[in-house]
Amino acid sequence: MSYELIAFLMFSTMMLMLMTGQRVFGAIGFVGAIAALWLWGDGGSVMPFSAAIKLMKWYPLLTLPMFIYMGYIMSESRIADDLYKMFHVWMGPVHGGLAIGTIGLMVIISAMNGLSVAGMAIGATIALPELLRRGYDKVMVTGVIQAGSSLGILVPPSVVLVLYGMIARQPVGQLWLAGAIPGLLMAGLFVLYIAIRCRMQPNLGPPLSKDERRTITWSDRIRLLRAGILPLVIFFSMTGLFVMGVTSLVESSAVGATTATLAALIKGRLNRRVMEATLRKTLEVTCMFMWIILAALCFGAVFYGLGAVKAIEGFFIGDLGLGPWEILIMMQLSYIIMGMFLDDTAMLVIVAPLYIPLVGVLGFDLIWYGVLYTITCQIAYMTPPFGYNLFLMRAMAPPEITLGDIYRSIIPFVLVMTLGLALVMAFPQLALWLPEWHYGK
Amino acid sequence: MPSFIRGYVRFVDAVNYRIGRMAMYVIFVMVAVLFYSSITKAFFDPALWTFEFAQFLMVAYFMLGGPYSIQLGGHVRMDLLYGSWQPKTQNRWDAVTSIILIGYLMMLLYGSVDSAIYAVEYKERSYSIWRPYMWPIKFIMVLGIALMLLQAIAQFFKDLAAAIGKPIEGAVPDNLSEKGI
Repeated sequence: MSYELIAFLMFSTMMLMLMTGQRVFGAIGFVGAIAALWLWGDGGSVMPFSAAIKLMKWYPLLTLPMFIYMGYIMSESRIADDLYKMFHVWMGPVHGGLAIGTIGLMVIISAMNGLSVAGMAIGATIALPELLRRGYDKVMVTGVIQAGSSLGILVPPSVVLVLYGMIARQPVGQLWLAGAIPGLLMAGLFVLYIAIRCRMQPNLGPPLSKDERRTITWSDRIRLLRAGILPLVIFFSMTGLFVMGVTSLVESSAVGATTATLAALIKGRLNRRVMEATLRKTLEVTCMFMWIILAALCFGAVFYGLGAVKAIEGFFIGDLGLGPWEILIMMQLSYIIMGMFLDDTAMLVIVAPLYIPLVGVLGFDLIWYGVLYTITCQIAYMTPPFGYNLFLMRAMAPPEITLGDIYRSIIPFVLVMTLGLALVMAFPQLALWLPEWHYGK
Repeated sequence: MPSFIRGYVRFVDAVNYRIGRMAMYVIFVMVAVLFYSSITKAFFDPALWTFEFAQFLMVAYFMLGGPYSIQLGGHVRMDLLYGSWQPKTQNRWDAVTSIILIGYLMMLLYGSVDSAIYAVEYKERSYSIWRPYMWPIKFIMVLGIALMLLQAIAQFFKDLAAAIGKPIEGAVPDNLSEKGI
């Protein structure tokens, strides 16, 4: 049997297994393990466990539980409430201002955390009920929170870029800095979209009423600006110290976790309930990710062993005869389409090792590609029927928001993100300028 | 379901619940070790053992905590079809597809035992400056995977029992709701 056929069989079996609704890690791991056993017999029988040893040695992954922990400390202890109020007061008078403020809130949370879970939790519990109460259009605000929180993996720090850095063997510091400007650009595009849309259809996002605005004094506004100090401290203690080279990557994530805990403690928001919820959810989410990555590593190793890298190279360059840019666009498109149906984290672990060598062969910058990859991941995480952000949104959203609303809400934002992706593709300096400037390449 | 199966499910649930609850706190140890590491690096001679030790803690954390995370229902499923089924249909399918979960875990267990035996026999050490023995962490991995397997089997019995309309009552002490979470 030809290797291409085996590879195809593996992918389709995985797809079928996932469809039955068994836990994702079981389905992927089983296909990988069986394929290894069938192809290499006794030598293949230890492959599932070899993946565990490999996973252990990927020590940058230690940032994962740290960021998850931090995110839950921030959302469970509600230390971001004041931050929301700050944006609320400052942005309220504008059409769609609260939605724009929510994007601002999400950017700040993204700068404190490397995953989209925290932004999603804070957005769904603090911002969403408030926006709905103010008569904002529910489809639009659902999209705002999903799109905004997805910035968590692009704005530094970012766990996805940590994973990418391990697979592509690129320095995480440069990758994080490379994500900063595209992240802000993306946030800017979201804001622009909301502002234009709400100007054209004012009923989607009514501004605060005159009466209410009168109750807010300037001293209130200034006082609320102090809420911005906390994120600055957390951002500096984590990303700041790391980029300056004081602490290493995993160390800085631990410093960040400690700072967030202290912040909650100082604000008097740390109690048994918060701690219990944080610890339990951290374990739950970390286990989910780690077991999926474990299974995907085994699957990926089999794939790699089949010579899939050469096969893909041959397919794109030889069979299709495409130029570098066309291949790049094809890769991103295929990733988004596969990401709709397969598990996104597993995709990252399985597909990235196949695509990255090809990107290198084509002569593209791997730091820049990391940013493209992350934006593509953001889109994949949001697109139905399979996406973590969709899962989380469904679990956290108030009951009046239906599944249909969630699915519909992302359409304009996915288009905006695709525009952002195109911009970063067309102007690589958007991503590369900051790391080159800082590290003096 | 025969009583020994009920007993098995309750026993495995209870054991994994307690181990998982303990594993949950390992994150504090990880934070402490890495925080200590950054302090020594900033002000004194950097400690050599911290990263590797934190790696071991991480493995212990997600392997020993794994069964508890299954009890909590923390593992994503692709619910394009699954999500729209009746609970009973879901149980039926779960009982059938448990075989793939159990199969994967058995192969994982085989590999881990193989690797642990090697580690003991050849007194395997890690290739680092700290050079720790590898058998303790490999024993923990074997234990974690074995517990995961036992939990998967318990899960299979639970699904089967629910599918035939005689669910096995919750064996895990449900103290989560009383804490108001």
